[in-house]
Amino acid sequence: MRTKPRTFAFLAVFLAVTFPLLYPLNISDRVSPEAVKFKALVDSIPGGSLVMVSFDHEASTIAEVRPLGTVLVRHLFSRNIKIIGLSLFAEGTAIGNQVLSLVAEEFGKEYGRDWVFLGYRPQFQAAILGMGENITNVFPRDYYQNVTSELPLIKGVSNYSQIEMVVSVADGDLGYAWVDYAHSRYRARVSAMVTAVMVTSYMPLYASGQLAGLVNGLKGAADYERLLDKPGAAIRGMDAQSMAHLMILLLIVGGNAAYWWNRKK
Amino acid sequence: MNLATLVATLLTLAIFSFLYRENPFFRFAEHLLVGLSAGYFTVIAVQGTLVPKVLEPLKAGDFWVAIPFILIILILGRLTEKTRPASRIPLALVIGAGAGVAVPALLQARILVQLSATMKPLHSAASVLVLLGVITTLIYFFFSREHKGWWGRLASVGTWYLMIFFGATFGNTVMSRISLLIGRLEFLLGDFLGLIK
Repeated sequence: MRTKPRTFAFLAVFLAVTFPLLYPLNISDRVSPEAVKFKALVDSIPGGSLVMVSFDHEASTIAEVRPLGTVLVRHLFSRNIKIIGLSLFAEGTAIGNQVLSLVAEEFGKEYGRDWVFLGYRPQFQAAILGMGENITNVFPRDYYQNVTSELPLIKGVSNYSQIEMVVSVADGDLGYAWVDYAHSRYRARVSAMVTAVMVTSYMPLYASGQLAGLVNGLKGAADYERLLDKPGAAIRGMDAQSMAHLMILLLIVGGNAAYWWNRKK
Repeated sequence: MNLATLVATLLTLAIFSFLYRENPFFRFAEHLLVGLSAGYFTVIAVQGTLVPKVLEPLKAGDFWVAIPFILIILILGRLTEKTRPASRIPLALVIGAGAGVAVPALLQARILVQLSATMKPLHSAASVLVLLGVITTLIYFFFSREHKGWWGRLASVGTWYLMIFFGATFGNTVMSRISLLIGRLEFLLGDFLGLIK
């Protein structure tokens, strides 16, 4: 008997998510000021400049981090900004490379000239600090085993001083590490795109200006897609997100009402 | 539908079956995930780090890299009781160097800069609220004086700030977890069943 309300709750959330995915409701949504600022930040970077995108996440959060990474890479390529991709989390390596490859193909970008993917390096402290001195020392070869120093994009790039911004697409606290080491020591401009569960931890860094930009989870990705006028996976998911939140609110209210009703009896 | 989609669908359903109760399908999928993650990490570490950072320099005659390589082997000493003491040398180096690098960086980024951000001129209601929040929360965590009288009232304001933080974090956690569910259902409805274009 005890499993009944539990089963009902699962079913209710399942329906609340499934229905809007099958029949989009187009619920209007206010764009967050953080997303507006982040887009403006990318817009202020001159075409032809370099941005480093670090895919610092596991595969389990792919539903949130892939839309974030995709919308960012789309925006960067649309402005002809060159990308150095990497990962400080082993599982983020394949996802990061997949996101970059797919979007690069969409925009007709050439590997080695418009973008490179350096792959994964363990010990994030050493990797971030090492790249502040020399990127090719930390990554002598890229993800595809090319000699990094021979890639046209990397020639003439030694450290963060030639990179306009570092963006950490993170589901944990690796974005913090970029602030601790790349920003504090080498004055690199650092931004973060993080899963919603992490955003309250990152807010103090954003408020203090240590993070130049911050985008919050699937909602942030949807906002970014709206700002670019390129609806994608994130916007599609936001209807389901809103309905699920509404359902959870109803379940909380209903659960409390049932509790008080039973207590009265 | 290709084989990869079919495998991913079966594994997703196996994991979802936990919602009913724990069962062999769930346990199989869970163990598969752990094993695959460990295997993937090993391949990435060997291919991306051990080969270009150790083996290739050794082949090229750079014997300095032999020192960290020996330290790596010493770490493996933890596997047997007899050789365990040898693993303390690389561990001590990692912990010592790690702490040495981290302490000044964290002191700067997480304490000094954060403190100076709190000390900005009180031009807006937001900065007053931030200052009040920092002071009252610190008072809440100050245990050398009993939380009574005006001191206790300030500490209870700190408690309210903490509760608001926990509430905001929990709300974001719900949003994050629902996003993961949306991702899986989009896969099942779109890639597997073809109901979403």
